[in-house]
Amino acid sequence: MIPSSLAVILATLALGVFALSAFIVAWWRGHFRNLDAQARVIFEPRDLRFARPWETPAQRREREATYGALLPGRRGEWGGAA
Amino acid sequence: MTAPRHAPEPQRSRTVPEARRESATVPPVVDQIAGVAQVQTVRGIAEARELAPKDLEIRLQADASSRLPVLVCYSAAAVWLIVGSLFGELASLKLHWPDLLTREGWLTFGRIRTAHLNAVNYGWGSLAMIGTSLWLMPRLVHAELRRPRLAAMGAVLWNIGLLLGVGGILVGVSDGMEWLEMSRWFADPWLVVGGGMIGVALFSTVAARKAEHLYVSVWYIMSAFLWFPMLFILGNWPTWSGVESGAVNWLFAHNVLGFWLTAVSVGVAYYFIPKVLGRPIYSYQLSILGFWTFAFFYALNGMHHLVGGPLPTWMITTSVTASVLMFIPVVATAINLHMTVVGRFGALRYSPTLRFVVLGAMGYTAVSLQGSFTALREVNRITHFTHWTIAHSHVGVYGFVTFIMFGAMYYVVPRLVGHEWPSAALIRWHFGLVVAGIAIYVVALTWAGVAQGLALLDPGLPFQASVERTRYGLMGRSLGGLLMTAGHVVFAWHFWLMLRGRQPAGARPPFHEARPILYTEAAADVVATSRSHAGSAP
Repeated sequence: MIPSSLAVILATLALGVFALSAFIVAWWRGHFRNLDAQARVIFEPRDLRFARPWETPAQRREREATYGALLPGRRGEWGGAA
Repeated sequence: MTAPRHAPEPQRSRTVPEARRESATVPPVVDQIAGVAQVQTVRGIAEARELAPKDLEIRLQADASSRLPVLVCYSAAAVWLIVGSLFGELASLKLHWPDLLTREGWLTFGRIRTAHLNAVNYGWGSLAMIGTSLWLMPRLVHAELRRPRLAAMGAVLWNIGLLLGVGGILVGVSDGMEWLEMSRWFADPWLVVGGGMIGVALFSTVAARKAEHLYVSVWYIMSAFLWFPMLFILGNWPTWSGVESGAVNWLFAHNVLGFWLTAVSVGVAYYFIPKVLGRPIYSYQLSILGFWTFAFFYALNGMHHLVGGPLPTWMITTSVTASVLMFIPVVATAINLHMTVVGRFGALRYSPTLRFVVLGAMGYTAVSLQGSFTALREVNRITHFTHWTIAHSHVGVYGFVTFIMFGAMYYVVPRLVGHEWPSAALIRWHFGLVVAGIAIYVVALTWAGVAQGLALLDPGLPFQASVERTRYGLMGRSLGGLLMTAGHVVFAWHFWLMLRGRQPAGARPPFHEARPILYTEAAADVVATSRSHAGSAP
């Protein structure tokens, strides 16, 4: 049975070794340090200061206290043209 | 005082030299101390005021650089969506209306259904994902897309391969392996070369990145663009035969769902949900855990499609075990995305992007957990060889992948053509039709699959009984498919209007009639209210 399944076993092992190698390289290069900064890399400061019309007053106060005075949201900002 | 869970310091992504200079003066441990949240906030506000224009410029340059290849991919994807849907609907009708269009060979079920599968997966799904990846990657790494013309040319070659492959299937040329039917001699090489050119553009963009940090979406997308060519070449290798051929077939077919469609779509969801909501992902650590467990466990999953087949039992059992292990990345991702949205579900009324992407993320959770259960032998003995599998695959490829791609396109296209979607009504029609369609489709076909499986297991019933029990489920499938196809026509027409430059009538945002989906007077009220609260806040 093994010979007839050898291709799929080797292919699966190759995929696993590929993932493991990528993980080790990522670890070695420090990609798991400072994860908080990684989480914020998609935002520009402007993003976080836009007033979101769906947020509750408490959520808006939290946003303002954290990121500064709110900016009026621009037309299309939530899924249309920026 | 403790720092709010979802209120970290706003921090623009820095260039590598800037980050190194900063890390030399600010001890990293400072970031871990909640007591300095106030200090961070003050610094964050200052950064926001000073640095926003530069960041905006980087973002606009990134968007402009990817415009050509993304529009090529999206335009072709919209065409393949319509073509694939029509093939799918016709194939569905033939299951309960077997005399429909049987005179022409190219209209027979075996060819039409296969053409549907290849058109929607390699045409619609893959091209929409490639386009979104080409748009997203420059934004994520804060660099312009490198070699955009090469990427656009790659997309053209990909489409030539698809035309030859799907056309070949319709005239009766097929490699005969599921998901790999397009000719490995005259169609697949176009896809390999075209995909390779797109990969060169993406990888050279990442190599030229200016951002120090790699967001989790980069991991998902870059991995997908490495995994897919490996799998595609392996699956199409011409030397496989017999049992080995079947095993490699399902290694490819299941892993292309996971390592290609799922990887890119989850990466895209990880971008758009926090981006639109304006809050970081609930737990970035969880997203990293989800990605790496996904990378380690998924490769072993494919053999669960061959439960009962002529393969070593240990191999099938390993695959079933790996399928259950997929609970870890799936639950990690589900919790993460859900907890990011929780408390802000009202945002779905405002953003078509968020509406589609959140529903797509729910589809990911549903299809993955369903898949893990289906892999169990006790469930598989009922569902194997039934319509259940078709319903399951549509939850994945449609309710998950397609919904996320719709959401992404609603966000990306206006930023490429420079104006808003012309009609809120068309978006609402699109959303309503496709959601109703997939709901009917999945419920009807899942029910039909279970009824069919139970009838097949009953030795007292003739085979004919298992066919008759699926009849109404198959009709429901056709109805659902019809609604989805209608939704696709609406979407493609709307996309065409966008490309033609049609803009919303009047000054009112298009969603105004239903809810203030985009910015409206309501948002101005929000700002005014917020300022008044801020004035009285401690």
